[in-house]
Amino acid sequence: MISIIHFLFFLYSFMIIGSYITLGIISVFETVAYTQKNKFVNYNKILSSNISPSISIIAPAYNESLNIIENVRSLLSSHYANYDVIIINDGSKDDSLEKLIDAYNLICVDFLINEQIPTQPLRKGIYKSTNPAFEKLIVVDKENGGKADALNMGLNISANKYVACIDVDCLLIEDALLKLVKPFLETTDKVVIAAGGVIRIANSCVIKEGKLLDVNLPEKMLEKGQILEYLRAFLLGRMAWSRLNGLLVISGAFGLFDKKIAIEVGGYDTNTVGEDMEIIVRMRRFMEEKKLKYKVAYIPDPLCWTEAPDNYKTFISQRNRWTRGTIETLRKHRKIGFNRKYSSMGTLSYPYWFLFERMAPIVEVLGVIYFAYLIFYQQVRWDYTIAFILLAYLFTVLFSIAAIISEELTYHQYKKKGTGFKMIMIAFLEPFVVHPFILYAAIVGNKDYYFNKKKKWGAMTRKGMTKA
Amino acid sequence: MFKNNYFIDFFENSPIIMQLVWVFIVMIIFFIMTTIAYLKYLRSFLRKNENLKNKIEKEFETAVINYLYAGNEIDEVSFEQKSIIDQFKSNTSEPFKRDILISTLLKLNYEISGEMAESIHKLYIQTGLLDYSLSKLKSRKWNSIADGIRELTLFHVKEVQDQVKIHINHPKTEVRIAMQLYLINLFHFDGLDFLNNITTPISEWDQIQLLEALQLNSNQRVTSINLWLKSTNNSVVFFALKLAKIYNQYGVRDELIALLDHQNIKIRIDVIHLLSYLNIIDAKIILKNKFNELTLEEQIAFFEMMENLYEIKDKPFILEHILNPNFEIKFSALKILKNLNIEEFNCFKNLTLEPEFVRMVKYIEAN
Repeated sequence: MISIIHFLFFLYSFMIIGSYITLGIISVFETVAYTQKNKFVNYNKILSSNISPSISIIAPAYNESLNIIENVRSLLSSHYANYDVIIINDGSKDDSLEKLIDAYNLICVDFLINEQIPTQPLRKGIYKSTNPAFEKLIVVDKENGGKADALNMGLNISANKYVACIDVDCLLIEDALLKLVKPFLETTDKVVIAAGGVIRIANSCVIKEGKLLDVNLPEKMLEKGQILEYLRAFLLGRMAWSRLNGLLVISGAFGLFDKKIAIEVGGYDTNTVGEDMEIIVRMRRFMEEKKLKYKVAYIPDPLCWTEAPDNYKTFISQRNRWTRGTIETLRKHRKIGFNRKYSSMGTLSYPYWFLFERMAPIVEVLGVIYFAYLIFYQQVRWDYTIAFILLAYLFTVLFSIAAIISEELTYHQYKKKGTGFKMIMIAFLEPFVVHPFILYAAIVGNKDYYFNKKKKWGAMTRKGMTKA
Repeated sequence: MFKNNYFIDFFENSPIIMQLVWVFIVMIIFFIMTTIAYLKYLRSFLRKNENLKNKIEKEFETAVINYLYAGNEIDEVSFEQKSIIDQFKSNTSEPFKRDILISTLLKLNYEISGEMAESIHKLYIQTGLLDYSLSKLKSRKWNSIADGIRELTLFHVKEVQDQVKIHINHPKTEVRIAMQLYLINLFHFDGLDFLNNITTPISEWDQIQLLEALQLNSNQRVTSINLWLKSTNNSVVFFALKLAKIYNQYGVRDELIALLDHQNIKIRIDVIHLLSYLNIIDAKIILKNKFNELTLEEQIAFFEMMENLYEIKDKPFILEHILNPNFEIKFSALKILKNLNIEEFNCFKNLTLEPEFVRMVKYIEAN
């Protein structure tokens, strides 16, 4: 019996490490192919083109009064020619709306909404600016319904072909929309239903008038650890899944969608806290069931900078929500799992997410409990223990360093002297100072999912990005 | 010595799985050390490279400006110019410096015009860069071919079009678009001849690039697009439709009407929008007569057309659709009805208490 348990733990570890190596290698090839392909693209010529397709940026805001003016200014400063910005004030209790009205000369306007997706009703109405400089801005004031409900309102209001769903506090790079719409326009043999790009952490970076001026590494270990974690996830994970056409999630912080398909599947699910993952899975499922050729695209360009939690309480709350979101989505779409009818999504992506994302924290905790049991009964083989722990730790460090090198070779964003050494140090320390909290949050997330169904979104306290 | 023996004994006496684990550990430690060293080298290389690039760029820029002002009326190439050319020639053997020289020439080429720009094109040939670009066309690597064509485009080398055109149906889209942009940037509308022979699809992204390049041309006289509207390559048809819209091609009315029966629904929808834009009223009559055979998307596009081309005789048809289950069609029908006859709109506005209908009526009344 004990041998079987040992074998199962060993097999699981072997599989997870094998999958990381495989994904890492595929990512490298995909990133090289992408950079080669886009080396000579002159984005400037197309940025100002009126023939480019229309895009709506939808940004839900709830009690964002502290930074709302700056954030909206940032969204309005995109260089793309053909877009509008829809801010959904989702029943904020603060003075967000009043601030927006004052800053952007807004007036309430008549607006006919095609309610294709049911949402909470409007509160004060829909506002547009009297100042032609802000003609791209639409502000919607509605009753509180949560992020998914606010995004659905945006989908109903948008008159454009594509919608970029974004967190209002995200800082978009000026040509982000163009870079993200490119996969939709360049693919000729299938329909691109959604696309995402790399999200970077803006803590300690210098921002002025909605523009990123200086990239810095934050001081706190938690923030630095998250930077490394994002690099690993985006540069070594999602690029590979994009290559395999197996992406199940586009970050809620910034993603571009084909509006028609997003509406056809019923928009965002308001009953989950993982709405960003759930809508992608549902859209993919829809395309698979209709037997249509499709793709979820992903590009390695850093398009969007966001504020990450800088304290453990908020961090745990965020990861708890991510865990619940993953469980909810996988459970809701369990029909897909290990089902050949859903091609690579059913046979590859879903099993991977189930085994190595959903189950990983549980297996890890079971491993710790089993280890404690062995210690208690003095059955630990310390030579084995030390060797295996060392192997796992060193592999994690190597994988992190590979992510750092990948970043250096592609976008080289952390240019300052001494940053390289700091990043290496994070690679060595991160398994001790960040990972245990991720594990804890995941376990609490599991507990909350099964025993505290009422729990929804945790609160994220915004400090605001560093201003010049 | 004792320690070494201990570890060797420990390793040799361990089961095979443990031996494997320790081998992996040593390998990973080796990889970690190597990657850290590489990372350190990479970061300092990138930093140095950036500084070196800036330095060389400045040197080349100064040399090119000197070249431009060193000409005289007696010699085709002055002595000073010749020495600058020689200096550049010695640098072009290194790919790193060659790339910097090309980008410097291009940068200056954008900033100047007239005789000076001509001189830069000459310098491109005199320094042997043209030969490098042409040799890239024969490369096996697709990115080298695309790179070569791009350089030929930017330095306006028209004479090699036959060598460029052979890549018309290259398997890599990047090579194809480089070739297409070469033809359009250098030969403008005449360059569009490639549309007669292209069998591979032109993506929407590439079409935008081509149209933007065409619009930079001062001569806006469009060549005939009739053939392209009949192309078996759907992307060529889409492109021709965009050309027809941008350049108001009323002359292709019959071809456009024929496309209303095209098997591709997206083409049919684009054609309806274009016919509406060009105010071709015959199309409205044709579509109205077969309205029930149209797909929902075509019906919506048709109603958008109706908003533009309605006539009083369309009223019975419009009345049929003021309760259409589709939001867009119903809204269009009500708007048209209000414009056609406000009294009748007032009569029909209380036709139903359905909330969507009531909201529409209120909105139309207020706007």
